[in-house]
Amino acid sequence: MRYLARRALWTVVALLGVSVLIFLLVRLLPGNIVDIIAGTEGQLSREQRTAVLREFGLDRPVPVQYALWLRGMLRGDLGWSFRSGQPVAQLLVSRLPVTIELALLTVLGVTLVGIPLGVLASVSRSMRVKTGVQIVGLLGLSVPSFWIAVLLIITASHLFGWLPALIFVSPWSDPWVNLQQMFLPVLSLALGLSVVVVRMTRSSMLEVLGQDFVKVARAKGLSARAVLLRHALRNALIPIVTVLGLQMGYLLGGVVITEQIFGLPGLGWTLLNGVYQRDYPVVQATVMLFAVTFVVINLGVDLLYTYLDPRIRYE
Amino acid sequence: MARTGSESDRGLTRRGLLGGGLALGGGLAGLELFGATARPARAQTTGSPRHGGTVIAAAEIDPIALDPHTGSNFSSVQAYDHMYESLTMYDEKTNIVPALAQSWEITNGGKTYTFKLRPNVKFHNGQTMTADDVKYSIDRVLDPKTASPWVSWLNAIKEIKVVDPLTVQMNLDAPYPLVGSFAGMRAAGIIPKGLAEKENLKIRGIGTGPFKLVEYVPQDRIVYARHADYWDKPLPYLDGMTFKVLTEENARIAALRAGQIQYAFLSAQGAAQLEGAPGITVAKSPFAWVVLHYINVLNKPLSDARVRRAMRMAVDTNEVIQKAAFGAAVPSGPVPTGYGDWYLDPKTLPYLKADVEGAKKLLAEAGYPNGFKVEIKCSPQYPEFVAATLVIQESLKKIGVDVTVTQMEWGAFVAENAKSNRSCGKEGSDVYSSANTFRPDPDGFLYSYFHSKGDLNKGGCDRPYPRVDALLVEARQSSNHAERRRLYHEAQRILLEESPNWWWYAKFNIEAVSSKVQGYAQSFTGRRLFLKKTWLA
Repeated sequence: MRYLARRALWTVVALLGVSVLIFLLVRLLPGNIVDIIAGTEGQLSREQRTAVLREFGLDRPVPVQYALWLRGMLRGDLGWSFRSGQPVAQLLVSRLPVTIELALLTVLGVTLVGIPLGVLASVSRSMRVKTGVQIVGLLGLSVPSFWIAVLLIITASHLFGWLPALIFVSPWSDPWVNLQQMFLPVLSLALGLSVVVVRMTRSSMLEVLGQDFVKVARAKGLSARAVLLRHALRNALIPIVTVLGLQMGYLLGGVVITEQIFGLPGLGWTLLNGVYQRDYPVVQATVMLFAVTFVVINLGVDLLYTYLDPRIRYE
Repeated sequence: MARTGSESDRGLTRRGLLGGGLALGGGLAGLELFGATARPARAQTTGSPRHGGTVIAAAEIDPIALDPHTGSNFSSVQAYDHMYESLTMYDEKTNIVPALAQSWEITNGGKTYTFKLRPNVKFHNGQTMTADDVKYSIDRVLDPKTASPWVSWLNAIKEIKVVDPLTVQMNLDAPYPLVGSFAGMRAAGIIPKGLAEKENLKIRGIGTGPFKLVEYVPQDRIVYARHADYWDKPLPYLDGMTFKVLTEENARIAALRAGQIQYAFLSAQGAAQLEGAPGITVAKSPFAWVVLHYINVLNKPLSDARVRRAMRMAVDTNEVIQKAAFGAAVPSGPVPTGYGDWYLDPKTLPYLKADVEGAKKLLAEAGYPNGFKVEIKCSPQYPEFVAATLVIQESLKKIGVDVTVTQMEWGAFVAENAKSNRSCGKEGSDVYSSANTFRPDPDGFLYSYFHSKGDLNKGGCDRPYPRVDALLVEARQSSNHAERRRLYHEAQRILLEESPNWWWYAKFNIEAVSSKVQGYAQSFTGRRLFLKKTWLA
């Protein structure tokens, strides 16, 4: 319990730090909303610039802007988008489901494909399987997901003449169309990530399989299957779960570009557009949300350890 | 000078743009000389128009906001164009024709415009449009608090008077080609009186246009439905249009192939991928988008016209076109080739072929026989600007000029460019790679950049071109088309000689349209105005 309280305290401190950092970084970006509105051809007079800056509250000192933002956030008010004039909270709530679905499906895919393949690779004696895993692993690690995404689009449309419906449909209104829409983005994100999981599973399994308790289990006459799944895999899971957790964090970065390529109206693309257009309130709120998610995932992973390995106890 | 909707009229910009329609053909013929190919700007048409159906199109950029007075960057115009209209508009032949104004009179030596409004024009909410709405809308643009970035198109207007419910009078400080500003639509859309105070115009809107807004989901889609009470019956033919935001070109091409969308804007490379694809027509024509480098002419050594000219001479224009635009462009001076008949004949433009020896000589004459170092800034937001800059970097090596190419994210680039404008070129960089897009009148490509009092004249802050000043003022005051053309041609020749910018080419507007979509015509503005005239076969 003490551990949890300490953890919670540090989480708050970390998030506060993140909030300051985001706030400053966004403002350090050269150019603001006024420049974006004007472009290289528009003509805004000095008075017009001042008027726009005042409208968005950007004429105040930065610490004041920060204090106002923080106060708003604590009250649940994330501000208004410069660009669309909508409340940011409303915008995020409308975008969140797409990103959550994309992330969950990806993690599900990665887990379902990565762990069994990793286990298979660890017990296989075939040279071919081993080199195959190595080569695919190297490719998967070095090819970025956005490149895979473009490749998938081209392949799907050119070779198969297939492309899912473009206008996003939520899973509640039509699960089948929605799944089709999610298929390519999930695949593009999952390919790279599952390779990491395969490799991690394989090496972790190999290590565990060499240990005495596995030999004991085998000597007791347990079936190979039981040894593998009940004894070895459970013990090999800790590093795998760590990697999966970390990857969920990275996934948040991956969705930014993937969503844009596939035209999925999720948080990632909202963030990217916010940055392009210097829509400070949107960028700040989205990054904060990502930060909170990251912290929560890490906490979840740590708590999962105690379940997987009862020897781990937090003091 | 009374004008009506039915009769062909003359004077100011109107006839010039009519000539432009013909000259556009001439321009295309000229293109063959440069080894480029161009198909007619109009898609093939079979059968007669019929009502019904919905077109799904791709939008290549997410609009910033739908407010017709402040959301004035081009991606926003592309989105609100279907909802809003102004007093005048362009037809397919680039003539300025009546829209919400049925006719107009120009009196008082070009300083008073009296517009007769079309009766019984309905807004999307059923309200009838009157002179009060016109006054309210234009006053809103002119109000400094609105901060409209394109106010300079309209701020020649000193006051707006409502004469009667269907007559508006606008008084100007000095003669200005105003009808073009309305046709150009940036910041000139007419909205119902008081709407801006009631609605969030960034994401909603009520206009008189052929389509009304059903739904706008930023970064995802914009859905329009037919405006049943549209004044220009029987238009529009379509029941609706949906623009799906697809920033990734491969996704647009894939969606075209799969039949998911019926319209997309493409790059030259993208178009090449669709070569021979069944059921898709790729249309190309030059449009008002001239790629150029802005030069800060205040600092040495670029303050010397000979240096700037020498650098321009060292670069082969056609090489820039081939490498940066993949051949889908035509050489251009300050006014984009293809823009009415105001542009200079591309065949007579200087430096189409590089003259390295001449450039070296000129550079030595200016006191730089061994060249110098210079930085050029560009943004990967527009890959062709980067490509153009790299071609220039390579070419300039031959005359000893060492170019550093600095790539910047668009927001950072724009901010620095703005800083340079505000500080009269004292801050910021020496050379920027960019483009000038559509303006309602040739004046827009010249005055604000090169008149000594121009808003964007960072180079002219303390170094004006007196002859150009005189020509540009004279052209504003003249209402004789041939006379204006002569003045603009002369001004352009002087500017090419002085090289305060390096102008390279006018890009082709490349649009892919499904053959199911009939009756679509390209616009030299790059706008998709004529989707309202299309129907589904």
